[in-house]
Amino acid sequence: MLGEFEYVLITAAAGLGESAYGAAIREEIEKVAVRRCSIGALYTTIERLEKKGLLKTWMGAATAQRGGRAKRMVRVTPKGLHAAKEFYEAMMRVSRNASWAAGKRERAS
Amino acid sequence: MSSLAEMATIFLAPNDRDAVLGDLAETGASGWSALGSVLGLVVRQQMELWRAWQPWVAGSVAFAGSLLLLSVSFGLSMDSRHLLRGERGYGSVLCEALLMLSWAWTSGFVVGSLSGKTRWASGLLSAIPCLSCVLRFHDTSLSRLCVLLFLLPGLVGAVQGMRRTRLSHGTALTLAIAVTVLMLVWGGMLYMQNWFLFLPAWWLVAHAERSKLPDEKATA
Repeated sequence: MLGEFEYVLITAAAGLGESAYGAAIREEIEKVAVRRCSIGALYTTIERLEKKGLLKTWMGAATAQRGGRAKRMVRVTPKGLHAAKEFYEAMMRVSRNASWAAGKRERAS
Repeated sequence: MSSLAEMATIFLAPNDRDAVLGDLAETGASGWSALGSVLGLVVRQQMELWRAWQPWVAGSVAFAGSLLLLSVSFGLSMDSRHLLRGERGYGSVLCEALLMLSWAWTSGFVVGSLSGKTRWASGLLSAIPCLSCVLRFHDTSLSRLCVLLFLLPGLVGAVQGMRRTRLSHGTALTLAIAVTVLMLVWGGMLYMQNWFLFLPAWWLVAHAERSKLPDEKATA
């Protein structure tokens, strides 16, 4: 099963779609998850997920904004989407009887 | 962006270097913050490598192999001197030299092929016994560098191991048999104390067998 940060990263990359690359994923994680994301944590996790076949990366085009440096583009593979869905469903099942989750359910209904 | 951060990226792979420096430029990170980000990535990548077994085995082979090969190199230097004085036959010295070459090369090859990315650690583990031995060397009749005869074949093996990562099954088997026969027939019990040194040759055979190419499997 995925780790928590692995799930956050896959979800951010999947949300960004075709424009998912290092800096954009990092910005998305910091904005949505409200947590600091270091470059070290980001790239080592991307490498680990790519080795597991959950992500695919390739070098994209260089831009002037980046000082002429290329982007490392990221795409979530079908296997990655499946793993993220499994993680999400497992968290939902585990949280079913938790007081905070029950509160959410009541508000939702 | 700080030039220190750019300098620190030499520890990263070329693609990572481009992506990281680009990300730092895009987010406007500079100075110590940029340097900290790059060093953080370098440290994390190294830690990630050491979660696998390969760097540990490579480091152990580098350390233990160097310890044993230091004494083998010293023995070869002594015997070469005896040969020049006519106190030793060509055959035994040649056998000793061949054994030293093959032990050093196979050990280096295993270290290089197992974990090229942690070569700095394997190199350091190999350098510690070498340096310690050279500094403590007292025999005035021989150069203190005579204990380092194994270094060149070992380094050649390590570089080839990093580039090629595996030998064909036939080559590995021939090499392992040759090393074992040399040890048993010519070296006898004297070399059996260095049994650890024939493990790399047989490891290469096992590795070649496990990762046989499909056409090799078909012809087998």
